[in-house]
Amino acid sequence: MTKPTNTGGGPLIALGCEGSANKLGIGIISHDPTTGKTAVLANIRHTFVSPPGTGFLPKDTAKHHRTFFARIALAALRAAKVTPSQLACICYTKGPGMGAPLQSVAVAARTLSLLWDRPLVGVNHCVGHIEMGREITGATNPVVLYVSGGNTQVIAYAEQRYRIFGETLDIAVGNCLDRFARTLAISNDPAPGYNIELLARKGGAVLLDLPYAVKGMDCSFSGILGAADILAAQMRAQDKILETEGPGALKEGETRITPEDLCFSLQETVYAMLVEITERAMAHVGSAQVLIVGGVGCNERLQAMMGSMAAERGGSVYATDERFCIDNGIMIAHAGLLAYETGFVTPLAESTCTQRFRTDEMLIKWRDD
Amino acid sequence: MAASIDPNFPCALTVEVPFPTHRLASVALKALQVDKELSSLVTRSFAISAPSDGVTDTNAKGNILQAQYKATTNRMLRVAVNSFMESLALVMEVMEELDEDVLTLQDQVN
Repeated sequence: MTKPTNTGGGPLIALGCEGSANKLGIGIISHDPTTGKTAVLANIRHTFVSPPGTGFLPKDTAKHHRTFFARIALAALRAAKVTPSQLACICYTKGPGMGAPLQSVAVAARTLSLLWDRPLVGVNHCVGHIEMGREITGATNPVVLYVSGGNTQVIAYAEQRYRIFGETLDIAVGNCLDRFARTLAISNDPAPGYNIELLARKGGAVLLDLPYAVKGMDCSFSGILGAADILAAQMRAQDKILETEGPGALKEGETRITPEDLCFSLQETVYAMLVEITERAMAHVGSAQVLIVGGVGCNERLQAMMGSMAAERGGSVYATDERFCIDNGIMIAHAGLLAYETGFVTPLAESTCTQRFRTDEMLIKWRDD
Repeated sequence: MAASIDPNFPCALTVEVPFPTHRLASVALKALQVDKELSSLVTRSFAISAPSDGVTDTNAKGNILQAQYKATTNRMLRVAVNSFMESLALVMEVMEELDEDVLTLQDQVN
């Protein structure tokens, strides 16, 4: 590991602010340069949950982050028992993400940096996920599957970049799941994907026919969502027939569609696609480790499917639980502090946000393998 | 209000926000001026000024944040100023809750 730029000795502490989507997270992390140990001192999160049948809009999400920033930051400082003067830097998510929520958190992070006279470090959200996943699981050089509401990428490290091997051609896998939850008007609390997972566990009597859209190393999900929406409409038509004409009114041989089987079929189809492209990336790179990060990464069905693929290749799957998988402040603090230790800071005038910020744009100076 | 009308940006509004100290006014200015205006139909400039009521010597460096907005239409002006006000409210809340002297005071109370 590279030596930290400040030579005061003792652990370096950073505060991280995340707000690229509907989670506002503030985390405080400590790196001990002598032992190389990392300690999570605080990891507080507050989620903007929109009503069933709706998604989170940028304007409302930004308002949520502005409303909760001060109290979440205070809670993080209290939990960590840290004062501002002990911090080495303030890290914030520079992108990618939704513009208005990103900007509202950046304004607050800048204010903290100015009030406390601490440097800012702008962090790539995807790199935050990857570094936190590596730290928590101990996976040294895995193929990374980054799956969330906004991103779907298969990533492998080479020569100080996290390189994208495959990705979605349209919407993210989490966006496909979130929007299907909206079609079914199921709750967004705690997360739409989690509620789909619970429904899917009760399904499985039939695997409904959905398109399977892998194109080389890339995936496409919008057509699958469209097909699932059509099946959901057929289900509601069946509901109506059964309600008005009584049981047994369905046509001979017609499959009765249920929300449980729909959720099951959607999960099986999209996760099989993700496992396929991940396996291909592992074969390319010659790696047996696979690390799953991002909000969809806490789906246990995805973890199980990936696990059996990895086991057949003589490897294993590394995943984290919702504290670190779902967007959080600690991953921003962690990746930011890694960059800070190599001498990286973001000057105030450059502390803007960007909705588009690809994973491979970031130089991973702290890795020398 | 703006003294003279800019023909390209005829709709103008200047917001003056007094802060307790020059330091806080300057923090607000620096935190808010980083993000560019998203629309080319709006221009803005920030400055810090001193109160004009004769008590300038106590706040010689000025403690008033002056935000001057100019836009092509009143609608664009309203959108830009609203967004400024939202960010300003966040900056002020962070100051109120998280400035170091406030945190020290809170620790003493608890």
